[in-house]
Amino acid sequence: MNTELQNPLEGVPGPANAPGPGESIRIERPEPGLMRLVLDPPHRKLAVFDVPMLLDLDAALTEVENEGSLRGLVIMGADPLTFAGGADLEAIGKLETEEAVGRYISFGQGLFQRIHKLSKGGGGNLMVVAAIGGPIPGGACEIALACDRIVLTRDDKTRIGLPEVQLGIVPGWGGCARLPRRIGVPAALGVIVAGKLVRYRAALKMGMVDRVTPAEYLERVAADIAMGREKCKRKQRGKWSWLIDKNPLALGVIERQAAKGILKATGGHYPAASVALDLVLRSPRQHLADALTEERRVNSTLATNPITRALIGIFEMTEFAKGLAKDEDGNKAESFGRGAVVGAGIMGGAIASVMAEKGVDTRLRDLSRDALDDAVREHQAAINKKRKRRQLKGHKANAAIDRFEVTTGSEGFTKCEIAIEAVAEVMAVKHAVLGELSELMGPDAILATNTSSLSVDEMARELPNPGRVVGMHFFNPVRRMPLVEIVRGSATTDETVRRIARLAIDLGKTPVVVRDVPGFLVNRLLAPYLDEAVCLLQEGASPGRVDRAMKQFGMPMGPFELLDEVGLDIAGHAGLSMERGYGERMIANKFLKPLLDSGDLGKKTGAGIFRYEKGKKGRPKSVGLNPRLPSPDSTRSVALPQGDIVDRLILAMVNEGARALEERVAASPSELDLATIFGMGFAPFRGGLLAYADTRGAASIIERLGYIKALPNITERKGGVARFTPAPLLVQLSETGGTFHV
Amino acid sequence: MATFSRIRTSWPNAKDAMSTQPEIVLAAGLRLPQARAGGAYKREDAAHMGAVLTRELLARTGLSPDVFDEVLAGCVGQPHDQANLARVISLRAGLPHSTPAYTVARNCASGMEAVTSAATQIMAGRGTTFLCLGVETMSAYPLLLNKKATDFFGRLAFARSAGARLSAIASWRPSMLAPRIALLEGLTDPTNDMIMGSTAELLARDFGLSREDADTYATESHTRAAAARDAGRFDQEIMPYFPLGASKKQKALVADDSIRDGQSVQALAKLRPYFEKPDGVVTVGNACGITDGAAALVVTTKERAAELGLKPLAKIKSFAWAGCDPSRMGLGPVFSTARCLENTGVTLNDIGAIELNEAFAVQVLACRKAFGSKAFAQKHLGMSQAMGEVPLAKLNPNGGAIAIGHPVGATGARILLTAALELEASDHELSLATLCIGGGQGGAVLLERCSS
Repeated sequence: MNTELQNPLEGVPGPANAPGPGESIRIERPEPGLMRLVLDPPHRKLAVFDVPMLLDLDAALTEVENEGSLRGLVIMGADPLTFAGGADLEAIGKLETEEAVGRYISFGQGLFQRIHKLSKGGGGNLMVVAAIGGPIPGGACEIALACDRIVLTRDDKTRIGLPEVQLGIVPGWGGCARLPRRIGVPAALGVIVAGKLVRYRAALKMGMVDRVTPAEYLERVAADIAMGREKCKRKQRGKWSWLIDKNPLALGVIERQAAKGILKATGGHYPAASVALDLVLRSPRQHLADALTEERRVNSTLATNPITRALIGIFEMTEFAKGLAKDEDGNKAESFGRGAVVGAGIMGGAIASVMAEKGVDTRLRDLSRDALDDAVREHQAAINKKRKRRQLKGHKANAAIDRFEVTTGSEGFTKCEIAIEAVAEVMAVKHAVLGELSELMGPDAILATNTSSLSVDEMARELPNPGRVVGMHFFNPVRRMPLVEIVRGSATTDETVRRIARLAIDLGKTPVVVRDVPGFLVNRLLAPYLDEAVCLLQEGASPGRVDRAMKQFGMPMGPFELLDEVGLDIAGHAGLSMERGYGERMIANKFLKPLLDSGDLGKKTGAGIFRYEKGKKGRPKSVGLNPRLPSPDSTRSVALPQGDIVDRLILAMVNEGARALEERVAASPSELDLATIFGMGFAPFRGGLLAYADTRGAASIIERLGYIKALPNITERKGGVARFTPAPLLVQLSETGGTFHV
Repeated sequence: MATFSRIRTSWPNAKDAMSTQPEIVLAAGLRLPQARAGGAYKREDAAHMGAVLTRELLARTGLSPDVFDEVLAGCVGQPHDQANLARVISLRAGLPHSTPAYTVARNCASGMEAVTSAATQIMAGRGTTFLCLGVETMSAYPLLLNKKATDFFGRLAFARSAGARLSAIASWRPSMLAPRIALLEGLTDPTNDMIMGSTAELLARDFGLSREDADTYATESHTRAAAARDAGRFDQEIMPYFPLGASKKQKALVADDSIRDGQSVQALAKLRPYFEKPDGVVTVGNACGITDGAAALVVTTKERAAELGLKPLAKIKSFAWAGCDPSRMGLGPVFSTARCLENTGVTLNDIGAIELNEAFAVQVLACRKAFGSKAFAQKHLGMSQAMGEVPLAKLNPNGGAIAIGHPVGATGARILLTAALELEASDHELSLATLCIGGGQGGAVLLERCSS
């Protein structure tokens, strides 16, 4: 196979520490007639289909093809809960040309197709069995789909599926072609378009795998099936295949429904889902070879698309964020067994609730019994909701409820390894609370503050052992927002940061480490964005129009919806503290003050910028503008072009982002971008704030800032010019032609 | 009056045995506020109550979850889905897997049985530190299918052919809908078919107790409980508790919710007799209420308590169990107390406070009369003199089950906790916790103040 082409993977970068040929796959012959291919590369914990792996697979298959006496072939991982992580994303991220992508995809596809040809299902005479478990995403799942039978480890850690769409591509190694044939179009759409991995039970039920077995038996069962000692029937689609998968009428209905769902979920910003829909719908009616060709063709274009780049970048950043809990030797910091939360307000109660749910024995303290009652009620409701939706099994839900302790007193904190305070945002109160906690808990317990506006350093100042004091800034609503800012004070130790990162990860959040500056990172970047929106309002722009423009840009909600969501009082308070912290360029617009005075604080009071009425299930629903909204001072921005609206908001944020990066508020542009995506929902397909700036280019941004700065509305406004004066880093990048991301 | 067999002590060398034994103490304790069944805790489950209570006890005492040799829980109506409730509580409270646990049942004294079982184990050298609970969620007692309905489902399950199935279905009758009420059946003695209230009526007749005696006593129980609550007497023993499945406006319970402020004899007099109409004296007003509750105690030795940094509430000086006529089970405290005091050198008069569980007002009053009766002592206790007069002031000084209810499995532990705390609160040297047990038994534990 390998003779005519010197290097079929030319231009595809391999890993830095690539092993020699033959080291990635172990070939075993446990009994006469049976061969096992064990994916066990020395340079990775979890195998990946990188260049050395693909070349080894090529060689191994050649060996299989040349051996005449085989009856069965088993493909497996290093152990029953380790198989492979799919394609080499790092390499794909570096592929520049469509040709290179095409080479990588077609080589892998060819290999899997050879497995198929060897198998009984593909006309060969080998019983090919995939014996796999643990995480089995993408390519790892696709190699299994090429086999006759799939045996899966029956374990809660097992997750199998095709998540490619979430990265902006579609399954390209036979996933789109084979899965619908195996489990039918409707089920395949569920797996491929949603891109969610499924557990063993669901996989077996839908026929994605043929047999599940405990880890200890996996090897034996696979060998028995491969050698014909165990009959293992594959679920047949039978008449359903004709009624649905190959029936244009039924497919038409499915397509309309699915397309509607995709549009709703992606806002039309992510093409991969629609492409996958199309492939899956057509695959059962095509020859396998044609379906495979088409997969390859569309993926070559998708993979080099900037959206894919951005999504793969986010995936890598998330992986990096998970590493924050590890030390230099790669050891994860220890999880907390018992923790305390002080302050049972909305934030404190929710933080404690998530902690208890995720396995930390949590003691919540508040001076008010009523606040505690509400916190317990909310906690029980949140857990019971998950129980009802089967996201939590009954006994786990009970345990989550049991782990939630409440008290008005000071007992029961001695054994807590961490305390998170979420009391009123008043320095004196924080000092008092942290001081008491440090006495109750001993000198080594970690003291975290959920402050959003006060300085961590100032809080740590009078406490013994300030190295264990750290900010842990959750976003509201805690259960839904995926970001946690870890605010590192000047004394905070690495160990403290690691343990907090571990806690954040345990709670299902993504941590970003930021410096102790006013507003930290996310709120600092949001401040000019939201304030600029209010300025537009003052200049006559319609809130609905501004919101629509920003949603089209890719934000999850418009700035005015966001203001109502956050609450005008809280946003106003934050705005003032930004003004104090950063001066002229952050001067807060006072246009909305009349609303504050009349008590219209946003969604929570039934009216803010918009007016709300009770909609479905009692949730507030926007029903037009609040009539008490002050009338604009001018009409200058009534007909502002959409591009200008977007740029005034986004570039104000980009400019502040450049300053924050320069001050090292976040350690790298990647982390800053991650914070914007998870903290404010900045359009993921744009890769984050600075990635977006990079696509625009520093020079063009500066030109645009110059244009905005010169607008009369801006020059006449106090602080307007300062806000749009390019940050030094931007100027420097435009001069050197550089980008934020290297 | 029926005759009772003279009790014999099965613990002949008790005095010697006790003197060589380590001092057993109640080192710490806590309980939940008790709530009327079907009320505040109507969606509760016993394991959750026990687990939350245990966690709070550990938090307040600073004890590490791994200090216990074993966990014992008393419960009468174990939930069918929580077999070995003690183990379920232990695990849900975060105690290590390696700590064993078992559930004990001695009907109304199950919570006390947990403590005496632990004490027995300590005396036998089988451990030093025990967590003892009494837990009862009477709200969760089920309605059961009656016999006819059970048979119907049996026929249905075994019907193989369509015809057989049809005829099985046809055998359905509306009477199958009538449920068996586990609560009522549980409170009935199966050996004589008497519901507990009827045994109390017997005592009223034996001892000549009138309806007015009973109502006066019941009123006093409420008055004392309310006064104790208002004086903060229960602050140390009750933890505020927010129940499962609370309604939107519901608050955490901070005190027993069945105490009636301003209860009066006049109001009680309006109630009709519940068990024997029309001549009976026992009404729902002068009987214990049906409530949900849980109490927990740390039972250990004096030395171990010091190691754990606990200041013991009381020392267990002696305890005893005794049997009596099931149809007069209410006299159980008399028999068990006689036996408990035997060989201790303590007389009733020496005891500062007596927690005698108020199953029924007439039952408490009957016990009091029996304590003071020379004839009773001679006939039934093999003593020449009466055990002694019990002044009403000493008897349940903080009210009792008539006011705060009787969650059957929990009460034994609850009265021990109250009696232990009473030593310090009212400056007594000795206190006694004793109760009557359905089926004709009594249990008694004599507590002594710990010399520091």
